[in-house]
Amino acid sequence: MSAPARLTARGIVRHFGGVLAVDGVDLSVPPGRITALVGPNGAGKSTLFDCLSGALRPDAGRVILSGKDITGKNTAPKDIARLPDYRRARLGLARTFQQLSIFPGLTVAENVRIGAEARPGGTVRGLIGLPDPGPARAAAALATDRALRLAGLSALRDHPVSDLPTGTLRMVELARALAGTPRVLLLDEPAAGLDAAEAARLAAMLRALSAEGMALLLVEHDVDLVAELADTVCVMAAGRVVARGPAAAVLADPEVGALWGHA
Amino acid sequence: MPLLAALTEPAALSLTIDLAIAGLAVGSAAALSGIGLVVTYRATGVLNLAQGAQAMVVAYLLRELVVVWHWPVGLAAALCLLVVAPGLGVVLELGVFRPLQRRGAGPAETMVATIGVFILLTGAVVLLWGTGPYADAPSLVPSTPFTLPGGHSVRLDTAVQLGVVLVLSALVAVVTRYTPFGLQLRAVVDDRRLAELSGVNAGRVSAIGWAFGSFTAGLVGVLLAPNLLLDPYGLSLLVMETMAVAVAGRLRSVGMAVAVGLGLGVAGSELTRLRPGGQILPLVQALQSNLFVIALLVVVLLQGRLGTGSQAPPARAGGGAGVGRLVPERGVVAAMACTVLLLMPLGFRGPDLRDALQVPALALVLLSVVVVTGYGGQVSLGQAGYAGMGALGTALFMSGKVPGVPAMPAIPALLCAVLVTIPLGLLTGWPAIRRRGLALALVTFAVGTAMSRFVFDQPYATTGLLLDRPGFLADNRAFYAAELALLALGVVIVRNLHRGRLGRALTALRDHEAGASAAGLNVPWLKVFAFLTGAGLAALGGGLMGLGGRAFNAATFDPLQGLIWFATVVVAGADSALGAVLAAALLVGLDTGTAQGISTVVVGALALAIGRMPGGLAGTLARLGTTAGLGAGRAPLPPPSAQLTPLGERVRTHIARRTTAGQSRP
Repeated sequence: MSAPARLTARGIVRHFGGVLAVDGVDLSVPPGRITALVGPNGAGKSTLFDCLSGALRPDAGRVILSGKDITGKNTAPKDIARLPDYRRARLGLARTFQQLSIFPGLTVAENVRIGAEARPGGTVRGLIGLPDPGPARAAAALATDRALRLAGLSALRDHPVSDLPTGTLRMVELARALAGTPRVLLLDEPAAGLDAAEAARLAAMLRALSAEGMALLLVEHDVDLVAELADTVCVMAAGRVVARGPAAAVLADPEVGALWGHA
Repeated sequence: MPLLAALTEPAALSLTIDLAIAGLAVGSAAALSGIGLVVTYRATGVLNLAQGAQAMVVAYLLRELVVVWHWPVGLAAALCLLVVAPGLGVVLELGVFRPLQRRGAGPAETMVATIGVFILLTGAVVLLWGTGPYADAPSLVPSTPFTLPGGHSVRLDTAVQLGVVLVLSALVAVVTRYTPFGLQLRAVVDDRRLAELSGVNAGRVSAIGWAFGSFTAGLVGVLLAPNLLLDPYGLSLLVMETMAVAVAGRLRSVGMAVAVGLGLGVAGSELTRLRPGGQILPLVQALQSNLFVIALLVVVLLQGRLGTGSQAPPARAGGGAGVGRLVPERGVVAAMACTVLLLMPLGFRGPDLRDALQVPALALVLLSVVVVTGYGGQVSLGQAGYAGMGALGTALFMSGKVPGVPAMPAIPALLCAVLVTIPLGLLTGWPAIRRRGLALALVTFAVGTAMSRFVFDQPYATTGLLLDRPGFLADNRAFYAAELALLALGVVIVRNLHRGRLGRALTALRDHEAGASAAGLNVPWLKVFAFLTGAGLAALGGGLMGLGGRAFNAATFDPLQGLIWFATVVVAGADSALGAVLAAALLVGLDTGTAQGISTVVVGALALAIGRMPGGLAGTLARLGTTAGLGAGRAPLPPPSAQLTPLGERVRTHIARRTTAGQSRP
């Protein structure tokens, strides 16, 4: 795993037309912990999530990636708010989608390998038929195998993904995110469509990743899963963070319960 | 403002008004076309790219009835406009679009179906009436001029046309706003499924939409035909260009479509007063006569999103994994068959060999569509433009007409033309970064049309050009062998794009753009790269077409050819390089071996049938092979014995511990 890193958002603002979806939100996703972002529908969670991952550009505010390099030295914090998502991914910021985002034209291993090969260059080499340099290829193959193992997908590696069940596909997507050895992992409702056993496996896996120093942010509707997994909970309503703190305390707050009553 | 002053002087003002009135003739036809497109789109969610072909078919039919069968004009027009045209619309709805809708087909498939209709109708007209232009299309209304109170004269047909536009747009407005049917229409527009659940007969709304759209298409056709030579391509293309009008109204506003249509007609007419001297005169004249092409390009570029098409995935090769990736043994057999087929013409002589020269050249152009659409997942209807650039560029370099570059022999000229055309791939690649589906289809079509009108149809491109093969390739057999070598090179490059890291990246881009980007792939660059490679391949193919025929012929690279080539590749399986080569052989074979138009009809019919066979012919074959038991290679392999890193081991133990802990809990 690469060196730990922290993702910090400062004063994120994002409009859609005249609607203010995210209104000056601060958020910290520290390494070695699981942070959960909860709130009613339309609270701005997904918009904030997209601003962090790079799928959207915030109108204002900073998204800062800070951490240590491989040697353990602190690196200068980097504002990545203007970078497109693929550049953020290459800096170690991975995400999964609420709606499955797999590539039906590829096998399980190829899907995962996409995440392991996210680096610039190589297009012209590919065009004239030269493979990537040996070390790069070996590193990608290794990262792919490791991610497949982690997600328990090794037996399915050469299987086309088009006919696999949803639970397995969620794992394929997660494995693809892990194959890039991310330092920060953003998960958008990762348990949607999973059965109880799969959800338990996912929870165990996320805990293990967090224990290894990865910074995890979870957008999730399932209160039980949040209660079980999250160290810190942030509650959003109407584009702002209205409560934050240790999971048990925040979830026990009656006001938060009222906000989130339907769940 | 000297210009304004010049325009408002009494004499000049009078000319301005006369020109405006003249412009209304074209403008009202465009407005009519726009009304039809908007109404069809609102009722069915389909942007009818086949509108031009429908207009052309009705115009041909009216001419046949009046000129050949000697029917009275009134009766023939009533039959054509009130029975045949709406009937055609209903047939299309019932036979083509309703089945697609039932199956839940995406906008990309629906768009291919409209292109299929376009091609099928065009092919049928060529088959029935040939390509020769007719100058005797009957007019519904005599063009007798009459004088307005202010002393300006108006042609009766223009006045009637304008009246029809105003009446129809008022009718549409009233029906939409004040009748139960209008309410149903709006309900269907908002949410088709919800409308159906609340008891609206959405099928009937669609059928009426198609009937009305087809009626206006027919009306446009019969009104425009007398002013031009009637041929299978010109009228259709003219009507397609008027899509600008509907797009300007965001495919929703009839009023906007009418206003833009009339405005562009008048503007084009007023522009005829500009008579700059020297070399730019032809360009200005081209601008005047192609204002709608410019308008289409501008409005599509201004509007990144179009209708609902933008949310849909781009044209996908077909349903699911492995399509186009033939099972190895089959792939080898097909490749060998293909090689034998391509080598056969080396034994031909005379005209047969001459016809065969087109096959490798066309195959390269089709491969360019495979790269852009099949691999990259980007719709491109403009590849004919790049092919034409290759041919014209080769001719210009050979003739020494490129400023600052001396005349050069054929091979360096071809190479230079390809190198110059590759960056032009940005013309469609750049818009593709932010556009998808329908919007991208229209941009690429508009770019191809603009190249055809502003580059290929200019005087410098039609006179004094030298395009010939070097001595050692003068013999058809030697040239064919050289073409095969270049095709082999092209196939190698295309296959490189489908394997290794680059192949995975392009497939990911095609399958799920947002996912590919989130996984760290530089999606904008990959898109541009696909278009650049496509432009290069198309230019190479186009240059070979020119060298093969020893002439540059603008008609070979007509924008409608781009549509036919796109449909051909989709029919052949979109992401199958082999399919494209076979399709090229089939197209040329049908064109030279059978009546003109057969190949077009076949492609059109197959494009309509494609809705029932995802993945095209190649995909269907591959599936047949898989179900026949040849897919044994797909069985999951046993887990490999890769070593976990220490971290991996630790995480695995964690997981194992947590999982057992989780299971032991109540």
